[in-house]
Amino acid sequence: MSDPGGRTERGAGTAADDADRDVLERVASGELDALEELYDRYRTMAYSIALRITTDAALAEDVVQDAFLGAWRNANRYLEGRGSVKTWLLSIVHHRAVDAVRRRRPTSELPDGEVTPPLALTMPDIWPEVAGRLDRESVRSALGGLSEAQREALELAYFGGLTQQEIAARTGAPLGTVKSRMRLGLLAMRRALVGDGGQLATESADRDRGGWADS
Amino acid sequence: MNLTHQEVLDLAAGFVLGALDPEEEQAVRDHLASCDLPHGEIAELGGVVPYLADSVEEVEPPASLKARIMSAAAADLAARRTAEPERRTGGPDQQVVPFPSAEEREIREREARSRRTSVIGWGLRIAAVLVIAALGAWNLRLQQDLNATRQDLTQALQPTNAVAVLRPEGAGPSGVALVQADGSVRIAMRNLSPTSGSEVYEAWVIAPGGTPVPIGGFTVGSDGTGNLLARQAGATAGVTLALTKEPAPNATAPTLPIVSSGVASPP
Repeated sequence: MSDPGGRTERGAGTAADDADRDVLERVASGELDALEELYDRYRTMAYSIALRITTDAALAEDVVQDAFLGAWRNANRYLEGRGSVKTWLLSIVHHRAVDAVRRRRPTSELPDGEVTPPLALTMPDIWPEVAGRLDRESVRSALGGLSEAQREALELAYFGGLTQQEIAARTGAPLGTVKSRMRLGLLAMRRALVGDGGQLATESADRDRGGWADS
Repeated sequence: MNLTHQEVLDLAAGFVLGALDPEEEQAVRDHLASCDLPHGEIAELGGVVPYLADSVEEVEPPASLKARIMSAAAADLAARRTAEPERRTGGPDQQVVPFPSAEEREIREREARSRRTSVIGWGLRIAAVLVIAALGAWNLRLQQDLNATRQDLTQALQPTNAVAVLRPEGAGPSGVALVQADGSVRIAMRNLSPTSGSEVYEAWVIAPGGTPVPIGGFTVGSDGTGNLLARQAGATAGVTLALTKEPAPNATAPTLPIVSSGVASPP
């Protein structure tokens, strides 16, 4: 499943991924039935993520609606990219939920006007590795294996919608430490989930610069 | 903000977690778009991020959310269909006008050409004809109603603010809705499957980005035609008008699928 070079074949993945792509192609051609099918498959995950991030049921509904309508309108853009439909869709949910939370938080910096499109819409090849499906428990176990500080950094970023500067201010840790915790936390999760050692092309460069502060 | 390759490595974890400020995030994107060196760290770290979502406790969304999303998507689709023929103006529309006496064969041919080559454009241009057609021989039931109440007729002939041609997703019921100056809506449909028991067809007004608001229902007999005069609809140009078949009267949220829908545009 690991593909550090980011060049996984587009067709790689599970049968469910292939079925998702078929549905999304129909969504791209404007079939409402296909959108309904996509919604039925991912409504629970989408809403759960939105609710966790926003902690507000009404706002979470708005986020999910916004995300599925975004998928409805931009499905053809997915077809030009790669990765699983699930990951693409949930990244839209995540991005819009974080935007919603940041807009609610007056101290956060946000661009004026239009929301930045989700990463996955503009950055194909970011998520080539998520083709398999892990059960919830193994993911929780991987998260539970992190140091408290790493887990906190990842959760404040991913679920809290905080920027790394905001995490530094919240936790009182230096910015470099926060960056290090996020990076090492992701690598540790990767090791736990995919078991490849999490080798990064950047590690020698990091060491040359004096390395990263550990947490 | 121009970033070096090394600076992007430094920001990679924050980038894939969405934890950069907007300026930094854009700078990373700009760098990745132009950098010749490999950035495998983005894929490596980013590949882990979606798993975080798998750790969330599952919560079911309320059932009403699906209806909201599907209604909004239907409105979006109808708007798309309305907009596309207008963008293609530049010559006479060569589409055969199949309304109001189109054969089913013509409908199928039209569908086969493309879902996106909507014929709504012509419908808007001949709105006046549609008014006459809707009030005339095309819909016998409507005609009978009009004969029965001159007040209705007077209202139907007052200035029409907007017209929506209601179309199904595939072959199926189609019709026309007139949005009048006082916000009332008159809908005339054909090719509807008959209602039975407590079933009704319910009409909905959907403002852009809004939730469907029921404006009234009607039953349908074996002739497949139906009509509705909703005096309190409060509709304006730009709304989507949609029709659903409901198991009982007074539905508060539409039961999918939407059998026919269209966006009300000025004639």
